[in-house]
Amino acid sequence: MTVTDWVFLAIALVTLFSAYRVVTTHKIMHAALWLGLTFVGVAGIFLLLGADFLAAAQVLVYVGAITTIIIFGIMLSSVEDLRGESFDNVWKRLSSRLTSSRRGIWPLLAAVGLAAAMVIVVSRGQWPASPHAPALDTPRLLGEALFTRFVIPFEAASIVLLVALIGAIALALKEERTE
Amino acid sequence: MAELAWLIPILPLASFVFISLAGQTVKGDGDRVGVAAVGASLILSILVFVDVLDGARVSADFAWAFFGGTQLRLGYQVDPLTATMLVVVTLISFLVHVYSLGYMHGDVRYKRYYAILSLFTASMLGLVLADNLLFLFAFWELIGLCSFLLIGHWYEKRDVGFAALKAFLTTRVGDIGMLVGIMLVFFHARSFQFDAIAEVIASGQWVGPALAAAAVLLFAGAVGKSAQFPLHVWLPDAMAGPTSVSALIHAATLVAAGVYLVARSYAVFSAAPEALATVAWVGGITALFAASIALVMEDIKKVLAYSTVSQLGFMMVGLGVGGFTAGVFHLVTHAVFKALLFLASGSVIHGVDTQNMHEMGGLRKKMPVTFWTWAIGSAALAGIYPLAGFWSKDEILLSVYEGQHTALFWILVIAATLTAFYITRATLLTFFGEPRDRRRYEHAHESPATMTVPLVILAALAVVLGFANSPYSGYWFARFVYFDHPHVPEAAGFVLFWATASWVVGVGLAVLVYGFGLISRRAVIDNLRPVWVLLKNKYYFDELYYLVFVRGTVALARIVGWFDRVVVDGVVNLAGYGTAKLSRATGEFDRDVIDGAVNGIAALFKAGGAVLRRLQTGYVQSYVLALFLTVVVGLLVFAIG
Amino acid sequence: MTLSLPVVLGVGAIMFGLGVYGALTQTNAIRVLMCIELVLNSVNINLVAFSRFTADQALGQIFAVFVMTVAAAEAAVGLAIILMIARRKTQIDIDQINLLKW
Repeated sequence: MTVTDWVFLAIALVTLFSAYRVVTTHKIMHAALWLGLTFVGVAGIFLLLGADFLAAAQVLVYVGAITTIIIFGIMLSSVEDLRGESFDNVWKRLSSRLTSSRRGIWPLLAAVGLAAAMVIVVSRGQWPASPHAPALDTPRLLGEALFTRFVIPFEAASIVLLVALIGAIALALKEERTE
Repeated sequence: MAELAWLIPILPLASFVFISLAGQTVKGDGDRVGVAAVGASLILSILVFVDVLDGARVSADFAWAFFGGTQLRLGYQVDPLTATMLVVVTLISFLVHVYSLGYMHGDVRYKRYYAILSLFTASMLGLVLADNLLFLFAFWELIGLCSFLLIGHWYEKRDVGFAALKAFLTTRVGDIGMLVGIMLVFFHARSFQFDAIAEVIASGQWVGPALAAAAVLLFAGAVGKSAQFPLHVWLPDAMAGPTSVSALIHAATLVAAGVYLVARSYAVFSAAPEALATVAWVGGITALFAASIALVMEDIKKVLAYSTVSQLGFMMVGLGVGGFTAGVFHLVTHAVFKALLFLASGSVIHGVDTQNMHEMGGLRKKMPVTFWTWAIGSAALAGIYPLAGFWSKDEILLSVYEGQHTALFWILVIAATLTAFYITRATLLTFFGEPRDRRRYEHAHESPATMTVPLVILAALAVVLGFANSPYSGYWFARFVYFDHPHVPEAAGFVLFWATASWVVGVGLAVLVYGFGLISRRAVIDNLRPVWVLLKNKYYFDELYYLVFVRGTVALARIVGWFDRVVVDGVVNLAGYGTAKLSRATGEFDRDVIDGAVNGIAALFKAGGAVLRRLQTGYVQSYVLALFLTVVVGLLVFAIG
Repeated sequence: MTLSLPVVLGVGAIMFGLGVYGALTQTNAIRVLMCIELVLNSVNINLVAFSRFTADQALGQIFAVFVMTVAAAEAAVGLAIILMIARRKTQIDIDQINLLKW
């Protein structure tokens, strides 16, 4: 076990735990904060995997932007939910979920099944044992790839973003006008 | 010039189009356009004629349609026969056009008259130029149509409309035969072209009864068109049309088309002696019996009509006995002097406003030009030397004599005598004696120049035309128009004697009866009353046809009607009743079984839908859950398998 | 235990499962949205891990970039929709949004 391994292990555990809390915490604002922590953890994993640029982008986009707008969204819409549900016992909640008429055990089955299926596939696969030497200059690497090989997807993504932007504004404005 | 022959019918056709579409925009409803067009055609025809005299022959055609390996070709040909006919048709047509300027002046349908007259001229010229039977038949029907339209010019009068219909339907009887004949010819010769047909016959590939049958069937068309016995009944009635029309169509051109048809397809006829005999005998019978009817007619135009029928019979005899040139020559001379007689009679009618000769009399002083031209025309018809009729009739008699057809010869001699008698009778009744109708006599006047000038021209031609085929010109016409090879009959004193005797007897008797009254008309009639009644009633042909065809048709229709009512209607009603029953049963089956099945299926789906719609909860998460579970199952199957 | 590919992929798989479970069970629309972000992130982890173990390092990372782009767009539009619903219904319990029904 090298230092890197230990660090990875720690980061992975933090990430997974915060992800678990996103799903299970009863206060929605807490969930948003746990989500932010998850994003930071993922950024750490990126760093360990040698994807410097992506790690930076992860922090900027997810932690800086998405978590923030989610928090804004919560504050603008779910005022009642801010306080959370009456019981805080995990097992109580889990059992209440599992016995809920509509959801029952099936979502758990689906989630565990998907994860298990992926683990099975991964464990059976033939994987390269050692990683390649990490690229030293990932921003350059990605930049060149984006503007050469992937220029058309890049432009398409730009348009997707533009449309999303306009769509979001339009959706938000619509109600204002009618009022 | 002969290459431009196709222009000759085009000019009157253009005039027809112009007059009918835009006639009212010019002065006189375009009558002068018609006159000018036909005049131009006349000049062209003369130029073509001169060219043909110099030996020019034109034949041009193009492929029109293809049937399997056979092609239909349309085209025109110019040979001596065509050239002659072109000149005759355009000349008479032109003179009639001019004559009509005066005769039809102020008519209610002046424009229509000139339009149809132009169309008729164009069609007749096309018929003459056609180089194949099919094309000829098309024009044949066109002139029939024009004849119908012109006879019915004053269709307000009930009789006029019926006369037009009668003419159309009667000729149609012959046309059916002609059409069958054309098919027969095509079946054997594989062509409609006259020269191709002639080749096939000349090569001896086609002999036997079918050939004779084809010829006789073609002759049926000629019988209808040329008003030969027994389809002659329409021509006298056709006199209901304007007299100018009678002159053009029912004396000179249309009725001559039948003769022309026989002449044009003479190759077919000459190869079938039975057909030639038929032509000759039909012609002979027609010549005699029509002349006999003309003896007693009181209507001046009816006299001329029966005279025309009779003279056409003469032509048929000429062709039938092998005298091709004689028949055609008589056609030409007859066209001239009969048109002259008709136009002159038109002038008389114009002057006294009646057609009944018993209401005329003494008109020679009032209408000198008309009288003198009429006199020349009637003399030509009677066959008085040296007028046109003498030469052509003499020629026919010679041909008959040469062919040793004794019976036919005597028939023609009697017919010629009768001809001389009835035309002299008409002349005396009309122009001599005391005026029998004072009021009409006072009213009578000479016709305008547009009418008299054509009369004078025709009269001059009636005098000189005969010399074209006389010893004085070396039988020039016989050397120009002939079939196979030129044939000049040798003059025979026997024939000359009887020809002369016939007109001397005929004219003499008529003068004795109607001129000097030495023989009492009354006495003759009383002594020969049955004959007189028979003639007066035109041998009861109209009555016979009425009885056989009209009443027969009505009776047949009655029988068919009864059959229809009782048998056919019975079957139909039975079928209807059965169908109604059946449909009622089917309706019940439909309602109970088919509708039941359809409704049952619909109910099944409705029930299924009611169950299945529970799955559509409307909750997005349910849908996504189903999605993911499916993926899990799929992955597990994939992973295990 | 080294920093090997199966281990990283296993982390991604677990995170994916958590995200799916959350997305399927949460009643608050914003929580569902957050869970979807978790799923997308787990995918990104996988992509980056693959890129680390292949010669063409740019490939996987570029994919991750595009996933981020889509995620950003999704978040923006999704939140706008949630806001609309909140304005109309005063709450965003998706159990009460069942218009997609017969």
